[in-house]
Amino acid sequence: MIVSVILWFLAILLAPFFAAVILKVKAFFGGKKGPPLLIHYYTMIKLFQKGSVYSTSSTFIFKLGPVVSLCTAAMALMFLPVAGYRPLLSFHGDVIFILYLLGLGRFFTIAAAMDTASPFEGMGAAREAYFSIICEATFFMILILFFKLTGSLSLADYLSGSGPLGLWQTAGSPLLFVIIAFFIVLLSENSRVPVDDPATHLELTMIHEVMVLDHSGPDFGFIELGAYCKLFFYSAIVSRLLAPLNPGNPVLTGCLFIAALLVVYAAVGVTESVMARYKMDKVPKFILTSFVLAFFATVITLEFLK
Amino acid sequence: MLLNRNFTLMKSVGALSIAAGCLLGLYYAGLQLTLPVSARASFDYLHHFTIAFQIDALSAFFLVLIFGISLLAAIYSFHYMHQTEKSLATAVNYLFFSLLVASMAMVVAAANVITFMFSWEIMSLSSFFLVIHNYKKEENRKAGYLYFVFSHVGAMFILTAFGIMYFYTGSFDFGETAALTNTAKILVFVFAFIGFGSKAGVFPFHVWLPHAHPAAPSHISALMSGIMIKTGIYGILRIYALLNFHTPVFGEIVLITGMVSGILGVVYALGQHDLKRLLAYSSVENIGIILIGIGIGMIGVSSGKPMMALFGFTGGMLHLLNHAIFKSLLFMGAGMVHHKTGTLTIDALGGLLKKMKITGSTFLIGSLAISGLPPFNGFVSEFLIYLGGFEGTGLDRMAFISILLAIISLAIIGGLALACFTKVFGVVFQGEARSGAAENVDEKGLTMLIPLLALAGACVLIGVFPRAFVLMAIHGVSGIGIGFEPALLEPFIRLTGNITMASAIFFAFILAALAVRILLYRGKTITRSGTWGCGFTKPTVKMQYTGASYSASVLAFFSTVAPLREDHTGVEGCFPGHSSYRSKVNDVAELHMNAVIVHPVLALFAKLRWIQHGDIHLYIGYILLAIIVLLFFILGCIYDVRG
Repeated sequence: MIVSVILWFLAILLAPFFAAVILKVKAFFGGKKGPPLLIHYYTMIKLFQKGSVYSTSSTFIFKLGPVVSLCTAAMALMFLPVAGYRPLLSFHGDVIFILYLLGLGRFFTIAAAMDTASPFEGMGAAREAYFSIICEATFFMILILFFKLTGSLSLADYLSGSGPLGLWQTAGSPLLFVIIAFFIVLLSENSRVPVDDPATHLELTMIHEVMVLDHSGPDFGFIELGAYCKLFFYSAIVSRLLAPLNPGNPVLTGCLFIAALLVVYAAVGVTESVMARYKMDKVPKFILTSFVLAFFATVITLEFLK
Repeated sequence: MLLNRNFTLMKSVGALSIAAGCLLGLYYAGLQLTLPVSARASFDYLHHFTIAFQIDALSAFFLVLIFGISLLAAIYSFHYMHQTEKSLATAVNYLFFSLLVASMAMVVAAANVITFMFSWEIMSLSSFFLVIHNYKKEENRKAGYLYFVFSHVGAMFILTAFGIMYFYTGSFDFGETAALTNTAKILVFVFAFIGFGSKAGVFPFHVWLPHAHPAAPSHISALMSGIMIKTGIYGILRIYALLNFHTPVFGEIVLITGMVSGILGVVYALGQHDLKRLLAYSSVENIGIILIGIGIGMIGVSSGKPMMALFGFTGGMLHLLNHAIFKSLLFMGAGMVHHKTGTLTIDALGGLLKKMKITGSTFLIGSLAISGLPPFNGFVSEFLIYLGGFEGTGLDRMAFISILLAIISLAIIGGLALACFTKVFGVVFQGEARSGAAENVDEKGLTMLIPLLALAGACVLIGVFPRAFVLMAIHGVSGIGIGFEPALLEPFIRLTGNITMASAIFFAFILAALAVRILLYRGKTITRSGTWGCGFTKPTVKMQYTGASYSASVLAFFSTVAPLREDHTGVEGCFPGHSSYRSKVNDVAELHMNAVIVHPVLALFAKLRWIQHGDIHLYIGYILLAIIVLLFFILGCIYDVRG
């Protein structure tokens, strides 16, 4: 229990650090030195020290948005088995709960964006709502497969315990598809290239960044922290699927987990460095690819299990 | 009616008596649900037919719903019906309102075919008169006519189903279906499903719904969408219970129509420009979700998986209750918007949250609940349906494929509903007013606010403490007549406990984060200024994202089933003049209804027109002919009896 609490705290605390790894990888590809690994902490401290400017169009929803999106992301981490240890919370069906909880966060992010009466933010909101529909379909496709494999509907049973799911088990090879599908979902849900470009200079082409244009100060800090937590949540799942190792030694387990996690973050960085953002009308097709992959993984596995 | 001279007095007497009746009914129905005793009452009518009522757990569940929502609708109507110059129309409205409530209660309590059809007709007719309340608008009369046709064709199908039953059993009582052959049972179910489906708004029989609901006054729309269409679901469940025949065919039919209604309903909802039409389509979607739950339950029963059956049926039943709550809330909210701004066009509104805090907040809660998000009530029922679906993934072949599709479509419906209701809330209540109508609004009318608050409270209550309500739904399910062991209830207890715990933790998180936020903002300068226009210095409210643009990309994805008709004059030159844009999302069912059904039927009737000659001699001849035929028929019967 205490271990779970500590791990949960660590996950939230370290999430900004891992996100900076992506920047480092991108800088390496660009032949630059890149910002320090602690850049996100500096930014957040700076943000927390500032005041805020609110739009005259906005209401209390605008202030509630960041709080809800941070809380939902932090709460999702409570269900995550960090490094294969039992999570703080876990029950039958918790995966569905988490998905809908993240949906709640999305609802409030969109509502906060619509609150500003800005046409750009409305545009971003519409895209966010659209792309996440396909992501959810993929997610549930993967859940059906996982349920068939483990007979459970809880993250803890998938990623921790005696027989965690992973690339190296008997039904492992179709899981490669699942991992790729999940990686695509990770990219689109966390607004990374090639779905969204967090570093672009043009508001018209943004999705998530444009939705939070009007937030400032501590509110913006909350949003950033929430986004890092969400990215950590998805990356941890992918990394556990890649390397479901439990050597027994806590230090070794921790190191392996961090190593796998770094691989996933680096992969995000590499993707961002070698690819450009897709045209907006191509993005749905890209995300649909993940659905198809998950679907075929299910079909293959079901034949395989017979 | 008699009191139409004194407007306020009439209103208060009307509203109060309906409310009092509902309260009494609610008390007894609640009692019925907690202490199940089967009540029965019958009267002889004209010495030929028996009017009989019976209340079991299933009826009691629906009665609670009917009386609960009607009570709030009656309270709401007091300030909503404000046009003193239309005193008589208002009085008529109250008359039919009370008739509608009474007939709905009679429908779910009816114990034989005669009583059922009798109450069913009263229900259809009284709601028809409520739809044409504002009869001076041509559009409303058309809507009323459409509704009239649909409800009677539907009733015809139901009558056919009952007719087949009567043919085999020779009795009008509910409960003797053992004599039916299996083919007859399937036939009865299909006919009844079409008939009840047209009342419930199942795709493709939903065409009347988006026309009739916006036409009626808002508390009536709330009543119709919240509970009247649920009597269709009641009919399906009742027939299923009566037939007591567990074939996977029933489950597949219900599941597939559920999926289609669910997805198409919400896609069309997303494309609507009228707030109440949007809500009406979203009812089609929610009926779809309920049917998915029931379908999963039916497949569970037929394949011998009691847990799956129980999850599916309970989820469906609970969603029924939840939908009644949040849909009435949203319709009443829409009524408030209409009352204060005079328009329901989504793209003409905006920024209402600033002036209408209570309406806006309760509408937000309703939107969150209808999108199925925790910790609100919509999540609990969808959660149960998901669990039922996952229980069913162990089945093979056909059943597995449909269960897989059901889970995926539930996920897609969830995402689309979120898109749909962020659009509604974002465009109507947030941002800046898009037209003069939305600028000077206020929020008055205490009796209109009370139901809104009560319903929003119910959404949160069921979302956070679902146990009592889930058990209530299970009790209702027990009325369907599928047996289950008490041991199966244990997962529900655990589950609801988990939801309560998780919601409590979530609320604690929110409070903690808000506290941190206050700490961080202490002593800071907080200023207000205009929205960042990305470098553009002269923004106007007309530049805001509209509902149409918000939903455009999703609708483009679904353009095969939701063809978009656009009418755009185009922009020309460096200094473009006046330009206009109009778009409409077509409903495929409505689009093809004319070509596939209406035209052939009209052609058929045109061919039969020669019967109506206009010649009075011929008509007398018809009468004579009919009498002679009848005579022979009766003689034949007597001859038969003598043997």
